[in-house]
Amino acid sequence: MTLADLRTGKSGIIVKIQVSGALKRRLMDMGVVAGTEVIVGKVAPLGDPIEVRIKSYALSLRLGEARQIEVEEIKNHE
Amino acid sequence: MNKQNTPFVNQEHKATKNNLTIAVAGNPNSGKSTLINSIAGSRLQVGNWPGVTVEKKSASFDFQGRKITLVDLPGTYSMSPYTQEEIIAQDYLVREKPDVIINVVDATNLERNLYFSLQLLELGIPLVMALNMHDEAVEKGFRIDEEKMASILGCAVIPTVATKGEGVDRLMETAVAFTDSFEAHRPVVISYGDDIEKAVSAIEKNLKDHPDILAGHLPLRWMALKIIEGDARAIENYKAGQYAAVAENATRHLRSAHGGDLEALMADTRYGMAAGLTREALQKPEKRKSELTERIDAVALNRYAGIPIFLLAMWLMFKLTFDISGPFTDWLDGVVAGPLMRWAAAVLAAISTPGWVVSLVTDGIIAGVGAVLVFLPPIFAMMFFITLLEASGYMARAAFVMDRMMHAIGLHGKSFIPLLLGFGCNVPAIYATRTLENPRDKALTALIIPLMSCGARLPVYVVFTAAFFSAYAGTVLWSLYILGVVLAILMGLLFKKTLFRGEAPVFIMELPPYRMPTVKNLMIHTWEKGKHYLIKAGTWILAISVFVWFGLNLPWGVESKKDSYLGKTGQILAPVFEPLGFGTWEAAASLLTGVVAKEIVVSTMGEVYVPNAEEANEETRSLGEDVREIAVSFGGAFVDAANNVFSTFGIATMSAEEEEDTAGLKSVLAKTFTPLSAYAFMVFVLLYLPCFIVLVAMRHEFGTWKWAGVTIAYQTVLAWIVAFIIYQGGRLIGLS
Repeated sequence: MTLADLRTGKSGIIVKIQVSGALKRRLMDMGVVAGTEVIVGKVAPLGDPIEVRIKSYALSLRLGEARQIEVEEIKNHE
Repeated sequence: MNKQNTPFVNQEHKATKNNLTIAVAGNPNSGKSTLINSIAGSRLQVGNWPGVTVEKKSASFDFQGRKITLVDLPGTYSMSPYTQEEIIAQDYLVREKPDVIINVVDATNLERNLYFSLQLLELGIPLVMALNMHDEAVEKGFRIDEEKMASILGCAVIPTVATKGEGVDRLMETAVAFTDSFEAHRPVVISYGDDIEKAVSAIEKNLKDHPDILAGHLPLRWMALKIIEGDARAIENYKAGQYAAVAENATRHLRSAHGGDLEALMADTRYGMAAGLTREALQKPEKRKSELTERIDAVALNRYAGIPIFLLAMWLMFKLTFDISGPFTDWLDGVVAGPLMRWAAAVLAAISTPGWVVSLVTDGIIAGVGAVLVFLPPIFAMMFFITLLEASGYMARAAFVMDRMMHAIGLHGKSFIPLLLGFGCNVPAIYATRTLENPRDKALTALIIPLMSCGARLPVYVVFTAAFFSAYAGTVLWSLYILGVVLAILMGLLFKKTLFRGEAPVFIMELPPYRMPTVKNLMIHTWEKGKHYLIKAGTWILAISVFVWFGLNLPWGVESKKDSYLGKTGQILAPVFEPLGFGTWEAAASLLTGVVAKEIVVSTMGEVYVPNAEEANEETRSLGEDVREIAVSFGGAFVDAANNVFSTFGIATMSAEEEEDTAGLKSVLAKTFTPLSAYAFMVFVLLYLPCFIVLVAMRHEFGTWKWAGVTIAYQTVLAWIVAFIIYQGGRLIGLS
């Protein structure tokens, strides 16, 4: 599944970034690296973009970008 | 520590150096600019980085008997440059080799900030870390072991609270002391693990002959790491392409072990190091408190309340910007047009200056100064609110809330604010585009700002609607505003598909915690931006005002406006406007002068249509009376500004005063225009090229005339086409 499929309040572990080039580099520089936990915080009132919490800060990105980020959902997360 | 690893380091370092360069680097939202303000305050000089329009702040001052040059680098997330700002920061650090780097780190967000610190340390320049917002971290229950951090990283770590100036002295003392014992403070080499280090040494061996490294320009280890990462921009920039084969060889093993993706490997490794360091040095409380930011965002970004709250905030900002600045604009305008002009005329007359010089000085130069000054209040007010929005953290939320809508027309969420400000005045709106980091978003937004009908166009509408559409003036007015917005959307889509084709905009933005901005910071930022406008744009505006004066008053001794260069140009241009329904030289000349400021269309019309009505009675007043009048009206401006803030908002603020002296004009207009051609004329005024101050602002903000040129071209064509469709279309369906 991708980050865009993760529902609000759910968390997951980043598996892979599908894009390449400058966008990928940017995402990685912002902490979107494999093995990192992300929590989906808020969805903008119009449904896009979304806010995720990663590396203890808040990052916002569009669903288009979120779809390029493969995650594995963490179940039974307390 | 291996000395061979960092041969680029200045060899000329003596025990003490009298001229020190300190670079200040850090992530955006780390409180870097507050810290800079706290160190340098009013000594900060704002300029641009060479060749680009990114703001460069620096300060020179004496500290402990030495000359310090402090350079503020743009906020940067990483040394793999993505934005223009990051390219500048990287290039400065690599090429200019500051004596010491102050790295501002947000203590509440250690891991991501340390990711950048680690990259700074690779440069081999002594580094002093300002562990900023230390008070916030303490409040959150964070316990940070600074000594441990310092010993692991091989740098100094000083807790600071920039907003209160805490730790700032110690930070500066440490930074300066570091340069005295340079060798002792060279950062330790942090190992990337055996596999990577093997590749690093292999590449370093070859790199040593690189001319830039011999010249002491390039940090060897840093370059080797960039080559491993495959940072295309850095490799090209520093001519490291010739080492491709070496890199290929040295990294073969690495690539086979890590699926070929060395870029990801390096980012993972650095983040791994940052996470490790954070674990070592930071103790977080067991239970995380619900933070203020989350509580505010629960409301501010709420599914239902988010947009209304945003619109309310925007309404407030718009109202306050223009209502507070309005009375001061009027006051400045009054002082320049009244006493200042009278004094200048009196002085010039006293020394028997020829009449044309008096006119040039008063109508050309002083009027030009006036044109510069009247934009100061709205620019200051707007810069104040923009700074407030940015420093408080709401700007990022505004972009978050509006992005979906703005994205649909190819813009960024942050574009909304400049566009909204455009309804007040296009000039501050152009300056407001600097909140957009991406040059593409910024240019696209600036291009459509002039389609937002600004306050200066209102007097034109008011005169024409009063003369032709008095029964449904409101509807006609709104139709013009809405036409502007609709065309802005269409042009946005068109530009997206033409001028900016292929440039995919992205939206990867930090939502920083809400923070209370300090008054000092707000003032410094506001003042600096206003001052910058005054100097940079002011000179252009003055020059063009004088040029326009010549257009109106040449050839020498010209009697009527019709025979001036302007009038003659109007006569030449008139046929162009024939198909639009207003092919008279008067209309053409008025439109030409509207380039100075759109409301001048009305005053020129007053002069060319009703020539004898304009001479106002010259009052004779003493200097004392003038000075008293200026002071009293300045006080009045404060009262008006305060009143405006509390009074209800209406756009028809200018209409009342215009009413009085245009009665004669209206009756003339009724004879030369039909309702249809009057509407076409208003549409033309709405759409044709903006006043030259907007164009100068574009030049100033982008560092090139390119976008101003595009604006002139597309708006003139657009205005003609739309006015043509309205006039000819109207005639086809039988309107007149």
